[in-house]
Amino acid sequence: MTTDLAGLKTNRRTVLGGLAAGGALMLGAAPRFVQAQSSAPIKLGFQLHRTGIGAAYGRWYERTTQAALKLLNDQGGINGRPVEIVFEDDGTDPKRGAEVVEKLTTQAGCDLIFGPLFSHVVIGSAPRAGELKVPYLVCSEGYHVASGMLNRWTLQPGITDVRAQVSSMAPWVMQNLGKKVTMVFPDYAFGHDHRDFFTEAVKAQGGEVIAQIAIPPTETSFTRYLPQIPAETEVLYHVMVGPAVLTFVKELGEFYGSGARPQIFGFIDSLEAVDTAAPGLEFLEGTHFWEGHCRVKQADAPEWEGTYRAAVGVDDNGASVSDARDVSTYAHMFSCWETLFVIKKGMEASGYQSTADRQKFVEAIEAMTAFDAGLDHVQGAKTFNGKTHQVFGQQFISKVEGGKLMRVHATSIEDGVYPDAVDYTAQSF
Amino acid sequence: MIRRGGLALGLALAPAGALACALPPSIILTLPTGHYMAGAAGVVALTALWGGAARRLPAFRARLLLERAVFLPETLTSYLSFLALLGLLFLGFTGTRDPMHNLLTLVFWTGIWVALPLASLIFGNLWRALNPWTGPVRLVRHLIGRTGGIGLSRLGHWPAVAGLLAFLWFQLVALSPDDPLVLAQVIGAYWLVVFLLAVLEGEDWVQEGEFMTLYLGFLARIAPFWLEIDGRRARLYAGLPGTQILRLPPLTPSAVIFVTLALAGLTFDGLMETFFWMALIGENPLEFTGRSAVQGVNTLGLLAVWALTAGSILGALALGRRLGRHTGPFWASAGPAMLAFLAIAAGYHAAHYLVTLLTSGQYVLAAMNDPFFRGDALLGLEPFFVGFGFLTDQAAMTAIWNSQFALILGAHLLALLLALHLSARLGDTRAIAHLPMTALMVGYTVLGLWLLSSPRGV
Repeated sequence: MTTDLAGLKTNRRTVLGGLAAGGALMLGAAPRFVQAQSSAPIKLGFQLHRTGIGAAYGRWYERTTQAALKLLNDQGGINGRPVEIVFEDDGTDPKRGAEVVEKLTTQAGCDLIFGPLFSHVVIGSAPRAGELKVPYLVCSEGYHVASGMLNRWTLQPGITDVRAQVSSMAPWVMQNLGKKVTMVFPDYAFGHDHRDFFTEAVKAQGGEVIAQIAIPPTETSFTRYLPQIPAETEVLYHVMVGPAVLTFVKELGEFYGSGARPQIFGFIDSLEAVDTAAPGLEFLEGTHFWEGHCRVKQADAPEWEGTYRAAVGVDDNGASVSDARDVSTYAHMFSCWETLFVIKKGMEASGYQSTADRQKFVEAIEAMTAFDAGLDHVQGAKTFNGKTHQVFGQQFISKVEGGKLMRVHATSIEDGVYPDAVDYTAQSF
Repeated sequence: MIRRGGLALGLALAPAGALACALPPSIILTLPTGHYMAGAAGVVALTALWGGAARRLPAFRARLLLERAVFLPETLTSYLSFLALLGLLFLGFTGTRDPMHNLLTLVFWTGIWVALPLASLIFGNLWRALNPWTGPVRLVRHLIGRTGGIGLSRLGHWPAVAGLLAFLWFQLVALSPDDPLVLAQVIGAYWLVVFLLAVLEGEDWVQEGEFMTLYLGFLARIAPFWLEIDGRRARLYAGLPGTQILRLPPLTPSAVIFVTLALAGLTFDGLMETFFWMALIGENPLEFTGRSAVQGVNTLGLLAVWALTAGSILGALALGRRLGRHTGPFWASAGPAMLAFLAIAAGYHAAHYLVTLLTSGQYVLAAMNDPFFRGDALLGLEPFFVGFGFLTDQAAMTAIWNSQFALILGAHLLALLLALHLSARLGDTRAIAHLPMTALMVGYTVLGLWLLSSPRGV
């Protein structure tokens, strides 16, 4: 209710209301649902980071999912049946995450569960989904799916994982920005992923990481680390995150002053949901960022891009249509949208009727190989690896020009592909 | 760590935390907050010097603004509030599971716990009319013809201390205080317990032994406007903030302990999210593992902060007595002096929850506008998107920080003036007797500002 504009209101009562009459009301209001074997709504569970450290992402994940659901139902639902989504808060906590999986499955009677983002929550919740034998579609970017760490019931068909994202950056960075790289990253798992995957990819491209500067996560001033950047650095790769990001950019600007500086490349995770034109970020002008999905609508954007933005309620800068300062988590939130449409495809391909068909649903997804770009895959075309349960898509490199992120390169899907580490299809259900 | 699971395929391929963190960059971290803190500490210290030396303090006089008949008897408003509570509990049990769309969660955590105290700081004790116990208790006691009590009043405010401690644990440590169902169960059970006790003891006991009534009543003592009700007449007064506090009887020992716990709860609420605390308990603030990982250590933290708060305040009072060569019983001087800390509790509550009001408050408005998700506009608002853009806006966040600064500094200056007034009432003459309390006030000012400006991990 709260996050919807007038156009999105019709279905949300059935989604959120918890009113017994909701489903019936909606059926009356939406006659386009064809006669199906069962006309009862398909009920999907959404594991939402509504509170806790993931709340900023959770807000946009819910908003995007509501918009996708509206579109899905307007298009006739799944297998001719309307679709409901039950949103349940997991507090961005792995223990609660496992409880939410159980609640959504056994109490709310959901057909499947999707939506979690944070790695530790996914890793804490997926085993429960495996025990309950409920499909669990995550939107977490984590390499934990493709690494083989999870199980047959856990899939990631909506967003490329971080290993592919990072690796696919290396060819363009080497060819266009320079071959001698210094990496500045927070000293924990997230930073280590970048360090390991990018260093490996740089080496494969004939470049060299000449310094790795690990910064303790509790650090809020960086002046004593910056002098460690070697003078011969051609590319500075940064993935600083958290409350001190603005301080980092400010201090980096003071460190280089108006003199020469290396090329600078970062991951938008640092400034996801932050306006790059905000005061204090001037130093970022002319630097490059990875984007999973271009926040600023590009000149050659396909037609569905505008439809997607309008449905979610974001403008051409990726900010909320009702608050230009409220920048969305644009590089990530498409994953919820796309995952919902993969669910539709999977249910339709498997002839999904009831929870007894959950295994057939997983097998149907595993059999998929590619998704075409379109309104259901707004971020672009993708290939799906049924063995590793992981999707691969193109990535974008954007340059800050006039405070706006303008795309300068789109990788090919192949740039991010790496050898399989697991074959989930060989595991039992 | 869990992320380095047993299936890791060598270090380079080990699955790890993929998404970094969702903490928004903090504009407050880029402000010269250190200068603010030093300035505030200086102002509090100088005010103490001036107040101690000049012995001329602002007079806190109450002025009668108007006198009128009581329009709505408290029993009636309380009963209506009880009915509203039943409605909210029903929504908690049966409504949407999303806490930001469920009116029970929103009304309780944003309305009752944030907006109502803020409004009470200006308009006096609004909870008195909204208290969901007094009306039903009065009614039931009347119906069953019960008049006496069971002696609960002998316990003073200790039941409220226990209630507040349980509440703070639920708010700060429990796994899912926002979950509508959990909240409905907890509120329902608590309402019932207090109701039964009050039926046995009498409705006046609620003022004494129920923590929310006591807490909101204390915070409202800071208000510049307040209503005093005497039978069927209501008198509206105005006066400098704190005027009501000087008209209060000294706090009893259980009330003193209650105030220390309230202060400790607010302090720990801020502290537990700071990088400082996270580092102390070995949590990475950029990938906070969630409440389930820190329940034990945060329970200890809450108790430790309470012990430190009570210890430092009572210690400063004891030292002041010693330096001032007081000889009377400890609580005879601690009780009045402690009243001054009500101003600090009020100021800190307002500053601490200001951002919550501006964020969650939007969800409350939206949910009240359209409680059944039918596209209603009960408040006359067009459906709108909740917007958090101000959190990354330099001007807006600077304004918020300045407001918080003013609230904290104002609260401590007020507390200081009240403390000087109260000690003058006790007949203190030696200026040095104020030294420990002044030092504590300076420390508290800095602590409050530090908590509000520290980098936070949740």
